[in-house]
Amino acid sequence: MTVPTPESLGGGGTNRATAARPVGEIVFACVILSLGIVGFVAGADIRTPPSASDIGPRAFPFLVSGLLVVIGIGLIFQLLRGHVGVAEEGEDVDPSIKTDWLTVVKLVGFVIVHIVLIVPLGWPVAAAVLFFGAAWSLGAKPWWRNALTGIALALILQFVFAGLLGVSLPAGFLLEGVAIFNG
Amino acid sequence: MDNFINLMNGFSVAMQPMYLLYALGGVFIGTAIGVLPGIGPAMTIALLMPITYSLEPTAAIIVFAGIYYGGMYGGSTTSILLNTPGESASIVTALEGNKMAKAGRGAAALATAALGSFVAGTLATVLLSFLAPFVAEFAIQIGPVEYVALMLVAFLTVGALLGASVLRGLASLALGLFIALIGVDALTGQQRYTFGNPFLADGIDVVLVAVGLFAVGEAMYVASRLRHGPVKVIPVTGGWTTWMKKDDWKRSWKPWLRGTFIGFPIGTIPAGGADVATFLSYAAERRLANGANKKQFGKGAIEGVAGPESANNAAAAGVLVPLLTLGIPTTATAAMMLVAFQRYQIQPGPLLFETQGALVWTLIASLYVGNLMLLILNLPLVGIWVKILQIPRPYLYAGILVFAGLGAFSLNFTPVDVGILLVVGVLGFFMRRYGYPIAPMVVGLILGPIFENQLRRSLAISQGDPTALIASPIAATVYVSLIVIFALSYWMKRRQRVMESERVSEDDAVDERMAR
Repeated sequence: MTVPTPESLGGGGTNRATAARPVGEIVFACVILSLGIVGFVAGADIRTPPSASDIGPRAFPFLVSGLLVVIGIGLIFQLLRGHVGVAEEGEDVDPSIKTDWLTVVKLVGFVIVHIVLIVPLGWPVAAAVLFFGAAWSLGAKPWWRNALTGIALALILQFVFAGLLGVSLPAGFLLEGVAIFNG
Repeated sequence: MDNFINLMNGFSVAMQPMYLLYALGGVFIGTAIGVLPGIGPAMTIALLMPITYSLEPTAAIIVFAGIYYGGMYGGSTTSILLNTPGESASIVTALEGNKMAKAGRGAAALATAALGSFVAGTLATVLLSFLAPFVAEFAIQIGPVEYVALMLVAFLTVGALLGASVLRGLASLALGLFIALIGVDALTGQQRYTFGNPFLADGIDVVLVAVGLFAVGEAMYVASRLRHGPVKVIPVTGGWTTWMKKDDWKRSWKPWLRGTFIGFPIGTIPAGGADVATFLSYAAERRLANGANKKQFGKGAIEGVAGPESANNAAAAGVLVPLLTLGIPTTATAAMMLVAFQRYQIQPGPLLFETQGALVWTLIASLYVGNLMLLILNLPLVGIWVKILQIPRPYLYAGILVFAGLGAFSLNFTPVDVGILLVVGVLGFFMRRYGYPIAPMVVGLILGPIFENQLRRSLAISQGDPTALIASPIAATVYVSLIVIFALSYWMKRRQRVMESERVSEDDAVDERMAR
């Protein structure tokens, strides 16, 4: 009759996984709490014009900050008493495997590379690099197909958005002379 | 009668060949993206917002009407055909639909879902056409005090009722309210939480937050626990004309109608939108079924697809009533629609029917048109949707990241926005991982500034006396009904839990028998 939980399916690493999770959750709850405290401190700096006839620009920020503080404390208490959150489910999410932090870090890294490349090399290059990097991080093989798909997607998007719809995406020095990629 | 003429005028605009093409495009793209696993209607609208940047308002509104219904519909194909037991159980359609598909009756499940969506969508749009102008007329008379009450209801239902954890829902809501505060105060022009940073002085764009939470956060979260290996789609056999047998029709038409009349009213009140409606419809069909049909529940009963799917679409139309007439979104999807409207300086609310009458009626007319197109498109094109479902997951989520980056960058053409997108995306990742719902944050972000504005106006009128907030009879009624809604939802959650445990124990019984 027992329903198999994700942990029991996962096998050996169960205890470590459940022991590690509340720490991360408590950190997140502390972030919420400290955001509320920052809200109060920074809220005191908001200047209230003396002529203001209503409750002024400070009251609502204080209300929201107070809400964050109360909820943050409440969450920390709940977590200490063992009530952990239920991670979101989805069609492509495998509940039986542990969080793969390395992939997340790789994705964040490639988005940062994308941001850095947009201005010097143009949007299509930056987009192709992001696609290639993300697909590789997620385990797509072989590398040359990832590269070709990324380049094709970037060029199609550049053509449709800059060329057809007139969104001014910078084409970059490689494609600057090609009319269909420029709005 | 005036409204009928207005609606006909709306049709005369929406039926122009150019706008019909826009509607077709919207419905097609909305369904195609809605079919992709993990992408709900709210994310579809957020991701597609850049596409409509360069369109004129009428065309954009028509495209969004198509995306709205198309995105709603696309999800049911996913849950019926994608072979991932367990996880999609939160979507009621999948309960029976997936079982039907596995038993080789996937075609019938898809057909009853498509026809039910059409019947419910059309009936609910008729109800919307009659109800919306009436509500708008009433809404013109209400003041800031009543608005504060209505928005509090929206906040609390979306924040506290919908998720599994009340505190996490409220935390998500408060985070949204906080981010909305960053920038310049609309009433006094004072900077708030900008820390002297010029990029923050303009506030953080709503689209950035929505795309970051829905697209980037989702991609990262799925990446962290990606199901590897080939994608298993349940094959659909037979031509689409022979999908529904006579018996299927006989068993479907009543659930379609019941689903409509369960879904529409629930959509119009801020009680959780489509999720609650589909659950209630499923419960009703299960109770009303008898004999052999009742035994089929849990193993692929067609009523369990026909009812909830109709309720889902009817609720989607119902949600448009408070959105268009009061400017209050009660679901994340409606909140994204509100943002889409605001991009074009269209402010939904009591005055919308007066100031933008032609546009609203065109929108409503294109809802009828879009619904019909969905029906025509969906059955013959199921082959395409199956292909889309089979996109290799690494490419799918890499593509989502590229598209999200495109949307963020094209807001102001500065890489800084993509950086903010990334930060919000990481936040969205942790929220998913730790069980915080996303929808309350988006609703808080969008309704927050409007709420503060109305709250301050109420208190200015009452000269700072907070009791004025509950003194108005309409506001008092709203607060009382809020209490009633909470009591009802508590009862419903308990019923849902009972039903789920029944279902699990039945499944176990089946498994045990199979094991022997």
